[in-house]
Amino acid sequence: MVIQTDLAKGVKMRRPRRPSRLRGSRDSRGYKIFTWVNSSLLIVLCLIMLYPFVTVLAQSFSSPSAIKAGMVSFWPVDFNIDTYIAVANNGMFWRNYGNTVLYTVVGTIIAMVLTTSFAYVLAKEHLRGRKILIGLAVFTMFFNGGIVPNYVLISSLGMKNTMWALVIPGAISVFNLLVMKSFFENLPKDLEEAAQIDGLSWIGIFARIVLPLSKAVIATMVLFYSVAFWNDWFAAFLYLDRSELFPVTLFLRNLLAGASSAATEGAAAAGSTATALSANIQSVTMILTVIPILCVYPFVQRHFVSGIMLGSVKG
Amino acid sequence: MTPFAFKTPPVSRRTFITGIAATGLLALTACSSKPKAALDISSQNVGAMENFAADMQFKATEPLDLGLLWTDWPDTPVKDSWEIFKEIKARTNVTLGLTHIPFSDAKEKRSLLISAGDAPSIIPLIYTGEEEAFVSSGAVLPLSDYVDHMPNFKKYVKEWDLGTMVENLRQSDGKYYMMPGLQEVSVPVFSLVLRKDVFEEVGAGVPNTWDEMRAALLKIKAKYPNSYPLADGFEGQSLLNYAARAFGTQAGWGFGNGMVWDESAGKFKYAATSPEYKEMVTYFRGLVEDGLLDVESMTAADAGGGSASVSENFANNKIFAASGSTNTAIDFSTALDKTIGAGSYQVGLIPPPGGPAGDTVEPRNFWHGFMISSKAKDEPNFLALLQFLDWFYYNPQARELLRWGVEGKHYTKDAAGTITLNKEFSLDARNLNPNAKVDLEIDLGFATFPSESTESRKLKESYSTPEDVAYIAAVLSTRTPLAPAPPAPLEEAELEQASLTGTPLKDTVDTNTLKFILGQRDLGEWDKFVKELEGQGLPAYVELMNSARERFADKA
Repeated sequence: MVIQTDLAKGVKMRRPRRPSRLRGSRDSRGYKIFTWVNSSLLIVLCLIMLYPFVTVLAQSFSSPSAIKAGMVSFWPVDFNIDTYIAVANNGMFWRNYGNTVLYTVVGTIIAMVLTTSFAYVLAKEHLRGRKILIGLAVFTMFFNGGIVPNYVLISSLGMKNTMWALVIPGAISVFNLLVMKSFFENLPKDLEEAAQIDGLSWIGIFARIVLPLSKAVIATMVLFYSVAFWNDWFAAFLYLDRSELFPVTLFLRNLLAGASSAATEGAAAAGSTATALSANIQSVTMILTVIPILCVYPFVQRHFVSGIMLGSVKG
Repeated sequence: MTPFAFKTPPVSRRTFITGIAATGLLALTACSSKPKAALDISSQNVGAMENFAADMQFKATEPLDLGLLWTDWPDTPVKDSWEIFKEIKARTNVTLGLTHIPFSDAKEKRSLLISAGDAPSIIPLIYTGEEEAFVSSGAVLPLSDYVDHMPNFKKYVKEWDLGTMVENLRQSDGKYYMMPGLQEVSVPVFSLVLRKDVFEEVGAGVPNTWDEMRAALLKIKAKYPNSYPLADGFEGQSLLNYAARAFGTQAGWGFGNGMVWDESAGKFKYAATSPEYKEMVTYFRGLVEDGLLDVESMTAADAGGGSASVSENFANNKIFAASGSTNTAIDFSTALDKTIGAGSYQVGLIPPPGGPAGDTVEPRNFWHGFMISSKAKDEPNFLALLQFLDWFYYNPQARELLRWGVEGKHYTKDAAGTITLNKEFSLDARNLNPNAKVDLEIDLGFATFPSESTESRKLKESYSTPEDVAYIAAVLSTRTPLAPAPPAPLEEAELEQASLTGTPLKDTVDTNTLKFILGQRDLGEWDKFVKELEGQGLPAYVELMNSARERFADKA
């Protein structure tokens, strides 16, 4: 994600300078070298980041014994899809998967409604007490009650073991809120004034003028929120006590961290039960878990790049 | 941090536990007082049996619901429909209400639940020492107060000669807060996994002492010059753990608080500054100098049964002896099947080699046991809870049920007491009846973690492989377990003081032990190393421990 943004910045900043560089042949050569170095550097970086992913993919199609003997790197050894079938037949995996989809969708909807409306209000400079509201929001970026008090709070609100414990506390991300606020601040005020003269209420302006103009930032925020909800395991770990309510990330974490924590101090004691789960099963589950969210990126990327630019450059 | 990670970021395990323990302490001291010892049986005997005795089937006189914290292993996800729960209900009239915690972060979640006062009555999977963090807050009950209601526990502690070890569980207030899983026999789980065929091939045989080990490794090195025949795979922690016992000190996983009991002086001394420790370090330094110890495996740890690269090198004739459990031996065999081929090698766990201190191994151990949440004390069915737990954890029939299921239905037992799993059931974890459709563990819930805790030797052997049984017999017949160190429980303020000084001391010891062994620090600097430890407050630390010991001895 970071790379994409940087790339985008690079492209945007280069564009105006390009004609002037084309004038002199020395500049042009320099620029070519720069592009060449730049591209090869990025390709190398890209390969470094792709390598583990490809290995996991290869492992997911290999036999456990080949993985243990260290024979799998880029290409599957002893090709098999048995593990895929086994994981696909695991009822709990799909149940948790369904939970993740539900939590992500509901969480993202709630988060978007709350964040956009809050950000819009904060973007209105004539609002009295606006600074206090911003201060309140920013305060939570730096301070929080701590894990046990939060737990007791959620518990006494009756949200334990419900979806709400996961989607409500994280509904407003202050970072996203501020990006959105600066986006709204940069919308031309004349538009809103015109709408006001035509008799639209504030809610009407927000819904019929501002939101349609903000598709870029909305798409970006949807992506940010959905990725965050998809990946989140910590809140679920804290507030859910029934494994059938867990999201798939917790299922995955149990699979991965469960195996590796066996190697630490507890291992001497836990030796007999902590059977090392096959790297094969781990890879299959990892692949199945990241695929949907990977698929989201190509579709939202266009908005994503322009959206984050709008927020950051103009803000 | 990436800007989109807006949720509380995952914190390190240690920070998390410390944080929770600290906050929980505050929360609890505010709202609960220390539980009183007296138990009013007349008003809290709902469902309890009147003449409950050892080896007797417990059956609640009326249906009971008891809460149990269940750690959910990824390979055996718990199901409410498991037969184990139905069978327990049928035999005891108790319905267990489960709170699931994922295995990956089970300890953190457990601390959180206990600290927030949300834990169910029964808190299982407690290893000795883990209860300490909860003692001062009053969140868990002093079980020593109720031991008279637990006849099975008393019987087997006596029969298996575990009385002294139970005494060692006492905290500074003279009570113990957890009841452990009792083991009739206890051998080190981790020892050396050996390529026995190669040791035979070079004419060394299975080494019985560390000196023989060195001689054998030299012969192997001569034959396989590219190998580093000995490895650990647990950052050196496992190797040093069992080796230290043979040198008369403690290190690695077994370093504990660093205090070794000096019988002649009647005092504790610090392990890492003792001549025995230096001797051990010198021995391993020698192995590294001669290229006999795989240096990489001393600094790296990886997922599962040890370092992945250790099993790789083991499979490719670069390592011939490595730390591990019987599971590790199985892992290595799987990898060797792939490279050398099944049948052309021999791999097995051997008893930890002896050394200057004799053929000694670690003291006998308990296995995991349970704590009771202090809110259970006010429940009307408290006595029944105690009786149920006594049956569940210590009754031989209950242990057999948890391990093997129902006799006749899932397994049969011949006249000699040998248990055979029925053909319709498999137990994949032990590779039994691999073709059967229903798995005893995954589908029915038997042989899961509650089955491990208390075990007679017979029960332990009933599910072990012949190699395991041979290993247990070999350790028991050729090695002597050390006597446990005498108890020296610390008081609340001292605990903090001890961990403030003890943790950095241990870090210094761990780092420098490896440096000395790997040759990054010259052994000539040993005295300087001792001085460094003293500069970090070692004398005061040792003094603290010894005064705790004296105080406890005076009380007793």
